[in-house]
Amino acid sequence: MLTTALILVPLAGALVVWLLPWSRFAAGSIALLVSLVEVGLWVTALAGFDFGESGLQDGARASWFSDLEVSYHVGLYGFSLWLVGLTVVAMAAAIGYGLWAGRERARTYFGLMLFLTGAVVGVFTAQDLLLFYAFFEGMLIPLYALIGVWGGRRRQAATIKFVIYTVAGSLLMLVSIIVFGLSQGTFDLVDSGTSDSPWLFLGFAAAFAIKAPLFPLHGWLPDAYRESPPEVAAVLSGVVSKAAVYGLLRIAIAKFPEPADDFRFTILVLAAVGLVYGSFLAFRAPDIRGVIAYSSLAQMGLITLGLFAGNSSGLNGAVLMSVVHGLVSTTLFLLAGGIERRASTGELASLGGMGRGRPLLATMLMTVGVIALAVPGSAAFAGEFLILAGVFDQGWLWAVIGAAAIVLAAMYVLRLISAVLHERDGSAVPREALDLRPAELGLLVPLVACLLALSAWPAAVTDRAFSDGDVRTLQAVQRGDGNGSAFLASVVRECGEPRQRYAISGSGSGASHITFVVCREGDDAWTGYAPIEEEEKP
Amino acid sequence: MSIAAWICLLAPLAGALAITLLGELVPRRIAGLVATGSVAIAFAAAVVLFVTVLGRDGEERQELTTAWNWLSVGDLDVGLSLLVDPLSIMMALIVAGVGSLIVAYSIGYMAGDDEERRFFAYMALFVFSMLLLVLAGNFLILLAGWGLVGLSSYLLIGFHHERPSAIAAAKKAFIMNAVGDATMALAFFLLVYETGTLDFVTAFERVDGLSSTVVNLVALGLLGGAVAKSAQIPLHTWLPDAMEGPTPVSALIHAATMVTAGVYLIVRAHPLFEAAPSVQDLAAGLGAVTIVVAGLIALVQTDIKRVIAYSTMSQIGYMFLAAGIGAYANGMFHLMTHAFFKALLFLAAGVVIHALVGEQDMRKMGGLRRLMPRTWIAMLIGGLALVGLPPLSGFFSKDSILASALATGDTYGYVLFAAGLFGALLTGIYTFRMLFIVFTGEPSGFVREHLHTEHGEGPRWMTAPVAVLAALAVVGGAVQIAGIWHPLADFLDSIVAVDRESLALVEPTVTQDWVTSILAVGAGLLGIGVAWLIYGARRVAAPRMVALRNPLERKLYFDELYQTVFYYPAVGIARGWTRFVEGPLIGGSISGVAGATRGLGRGVGQAQTGFLRTYALAIAAGLAVLAMVFVSVR
Amino acid sequence: MNGPDVTWYLAVAGVLFATGALGVLLRRSPLIVLLSLEIMLNGANLALIAFARQQGDLDGQIFALAVMAVAASEVVVGLGLIVAMARRRLVLDVDELTTLRG
Repeated sequence: MLTTALILVPLAGALVVWLLPWSRFAAGSIALLVSLVEVGLWVTALAGFDFGESGLQDGARASWFSDLEVSYHVGLYGFSLWLVGLTVVAMAAAIGYGLWAGRERARTYFGLMLFLTGAVVGVFTAQDLLLFYAFFEGMLIPLYALIGVWGGRRRQAATIKFVIYTVAGSLLMLVSIIVFGLSQGTFDLVDSGTSDSPWLFLGFAAAFAIKAPLFPLHGWLPDAYRESPPEVAAVLSGVVSKAAVYGLLRIAIAKFPEPADDFRFTILVLAAVGLVYGSFLAFRAPDIRGVIAYSSLAQMGLITLGLFAGNSSGLNGAVLMSVVHGLVSTTLFLLAGGIERRASTGELASLGGMGRGRPLLATMLMTVGVIALAVPGSAAFAGEFLILAGVFDQGWLWAVIGAAAIVLAAMYVLRLISAVLHERDGSAVPREALDLRPAELGLLVPLVACLLALSAWPAAVTDRAFSDGDVRTLQAVQRGDGNGSAFLASVVRECGEPRQRYAISGSGSGASHITFVVCREGDDAWTGYAPIEEEEKP
Repeated sequence: MSIAAWICLLAPLAGALAITLLGELVPRRIAGLVATGSVAIAFAAAVVLFVTVLGRDGEERQELTTAWNWLSVGDLDVGLSLLVDPLSIMMALIVAGVGSLIVAYSIGYMAGDDEERRFFAYMALFVFSMLLLVLAGNFLILLAGWGLVGLSSYLLIGFHHERPSAIAAAKKAFIMNAVGDATMALAFFLLVYETGTLDFVTAFERVDGLSSTVVNLVALGLLGGAVAKSAQIPLHTWLPDAMEGPTPVSALIHAATMVTAGVYLIVRAHPLFEAAPSVQDLAAGLGAVTIVVAGLIALVQTDIKRVIAYSTMSQIGYMFLAAGIGAYANGMFHLMTHAFFKALLFLAAGVVIHALVGEQDMRKMGGLRRLMPRTWIAMLIGGLALVGLPPLSGFFSKDSILASALATGDTYGYVLFAAGLFGALLTGIYTFRMLFIVFTGEPSGFVREHLHTEHGEGPRWMTAPVAVLAALAVVGGAVQIAGIWHPLADFLDSIVAVDRESLALVEPTVTQDWVTSILAVGAGLLGIGVAWLIYGARRVAAPRMVALRNPLERKLYFDELYQTVFYYPAVGIARGWTRFVEGPLIGGSISGVAGATRGLGRGVGQAQTGFLRTYALAIAAGLAVLAMVFVSVR
Repeated sequence: MNGPDVTWYLAVAGVLFATGALGVLLRRSPLIVLLSLEIMLNGANLALIAFARQQGDLDGQIFALAVMAVAASEVVVGLGLIVAMARRRLVLDVDELTTLRG
């Protein structure tokens, strides 16, 4: 029920804002109010969430197309709870920024922002593939409008690029969804088993690799981030990219363990390349948005490294890093928006000296900057450490590359900070440009406070992202080399009525391609297994 | 005891937060007092810890306290924990004690600066970070403190951020330290992978089970971090540039505390290093090289603060040497006395700079002995302690290190000893070169014009800490007199993971102590004499030696080397990739898709001739084909 | 059953259809093309009715009525187009009218 509310409240709010004739200020205030209510709902969900229990919580299910086994099935896991939290907080800040900055055609704008909120929350909570696809595409529509109408000078080109890239990926994913759903007999993520088809995996992976983005499918990134309004860029970078993370985790890795293993090396290479490439390009990007955009590319590469590390350390690190990077990105883009408003430009060559006489701006940018570069002690460092410690399992070279990226991150963040705050006053910085206004502080301080709280206690997220049962499931299904079956066999008891089935193909006891059906009841006790030979392959 | 530890750690943080959050609401002087007070509270807490620990024995002296679980790495839980043992208490006392003196000094030094509050917030943040580093109970929290210390250093070096040179220096310091952070992180990954733990106690217990490659790599990674943080060759180029920061910053961070963190790390992780003897020897070797190289470069410096900076580098070389040969207590002893007299030197130099309205070039100074007599006495004490003349503190600490080098008994130890002895000679020369240039002779024109001493040599806030430090520099050596009484060494024997009777690996004999002392004092006096001849009495002109001088003045071209090897390639790669990879990728991919689509459209569009009869023919032909297919399928 | 065999009717229908087809393909005046189209349709109608007679089923005749309706509508549209073209003084030659060239 709570999950459905989390999805429907912003959608209903969007309708209210669109349909009734509000003034600009009223529309914005209602939108802000709805987003704050949404945050409240999330906090309620957080308070009521049992982190020890594995499996879906706060679920709701209603049949949609019964002959295809498509249903409205939503629910929350630990990690999706944190991603939803990131979404609602970031969207609230973005809507607040929109209200403060003032946008033309306010009702349409705020309605679209609320609609986007609902769509993204839907992506993170959908447990049915067609529903997931609907929300995934549903994210695209408001983004297209928001960038295309309220964006910068070259917004048309940026929007077209963005849409073409995303839709290309989504169509591949749709094909995969249809084939997977039909072959499994159900489109439900909880009920369906796994598949070892590399093509289906690639279909999903392509869509998520474009969304994240992963090198080299990031062609849409710089223009989209540069031409969007600041708060939309914040949402794009902070929230929408995490939809890709969620998709990779919940669908691509969980449902296709063997292909994930087969493609692991390739994906790790691409992620590492993206990490290094993005860092170098951020080091020399000529404008604030460029630096943040390429640093986003690098961080998503890092998160992908964690996802495909193949152990719980990497997964936990990826989830933590997703949340942290989401908050950092949002804050940075909102600050960039503030700076651009004051200086009418984001070009670093024209900026400088903004720290003098503006202590609030300097403190904010400095604080979020050092968290962005993952100074040891920060939450970003905790995430990065977990990811690299996890990927160390796959080979020491990945960790070395990651460690080098730490130095590169220091280089580009410090360059950004100095170019904006330090040295002489830039040519575009007016003497009378003000320090951060109370409204801006009201947006930024909660975000930074969340980051500082996470820095003091990163285990809040990492200890509560995957319950033991989920981790064992993901770990077992990731061990495509057959060790999964050995692992399962070691904790076997008699099987009663199976509640959740995971089909894991592995080669155990000398025979190849024996599929095990595992019965699991709630907590981390596996209650039995039964070998089934020649199970139909999708 | 744990409560005292937490208070010690959190008081400066509370001070920093208070100053930041209250902002303009507090007057500037109050900000300074808050900062000083918070650090003083930390010192008081450290004293409480010290007293408590003294009353206990052996293992009872170690206590681990955990606040909450900070992070879980696989099956490993890393807690936010503090380890209280003699080593961390000693460091905490030094950091908080000298720190509070220096922060108090800053009240006078920074008075009138526009951004005074920011300065004190940063100073308090730094003390918190340093305490986090020394009180950490596991490697990850230590790394957190390590990184935050680097951050505070960046903030403080770049305090005057309108100056491009200060900003550049701050960035350089941070990035070189980041390199050290990266190597340490790699060492930790390996440690987690092999031992499954990052706690000090547990990790040290499992060291024996590790292969030598692994231990060497881990120790090497830790050494990398230590070398970067302590500005030893080859990661030393950031320290002289760091003198761009205000003088109290140089005193606190770049003399007394942050740069000594590397030494602390080696002593703390001594079981690891002892299991990797080649790395430990490397540490000692790097220390020896730094002693000599830094001493030589100090001979040609013209900025008063840079002389002291290179001297710091050199003296930390002694500490690395000590840690490298296993004379941990001696190294820590020198760390303590060095904190006293080096901070004293910096602060006294700060008094001079303050009185000369910011001038740091020694060539413009001279004859200050009669104009600023108390400062002269203070710097003289500091200088004598630095050179290591009895009965000042530096004598006891430095000579004990050299004696330990002699006591190792092997050729390598003798080489280290020789380097240390040569270093003592150099120390004498450069220290007294500085003292004679600045204080003796006739007051220069600049001095006569700009010196303001109507209100005494400096404000009370500045002169009082200097006096305290001078006193400490004099009597600080009494803590350990080689061969006679060694309470410090005994104190440190009960630190974590010492499984033998005494912490030290080598113990010099009484003869070795005497021989060393005589030789070292002799070298120091010889150095002073040379300096007197050239700079004091001006009887001999400084030798030109251009071939030697130029490389030294260019700091042995390390800066240029790093620029060429790291900075320019990085910029080049970034620019190259932006033009040749990103450009085609962004533009090309979409224009490629667009072009392909257009081409396809054009190709298919050729069927649209516009002629009615073509379409009719197509229909007829299609019909014929269908009819044939229909018939043949039948 | 009186009259000639169904086959003959089909032959006539075929001749009509072929004539119409040739007219559509070979003539240049749109009016003549329309005319030929009508002839083709009538040929088809004749075939439909012949088959209906052969099967003894009335479905073919109903279908033929529907075809007639369609033919009538299409003639209306076609003639209307031709009149419009004539009014605009366009050359009534299908080889010249190529504005829809892609």
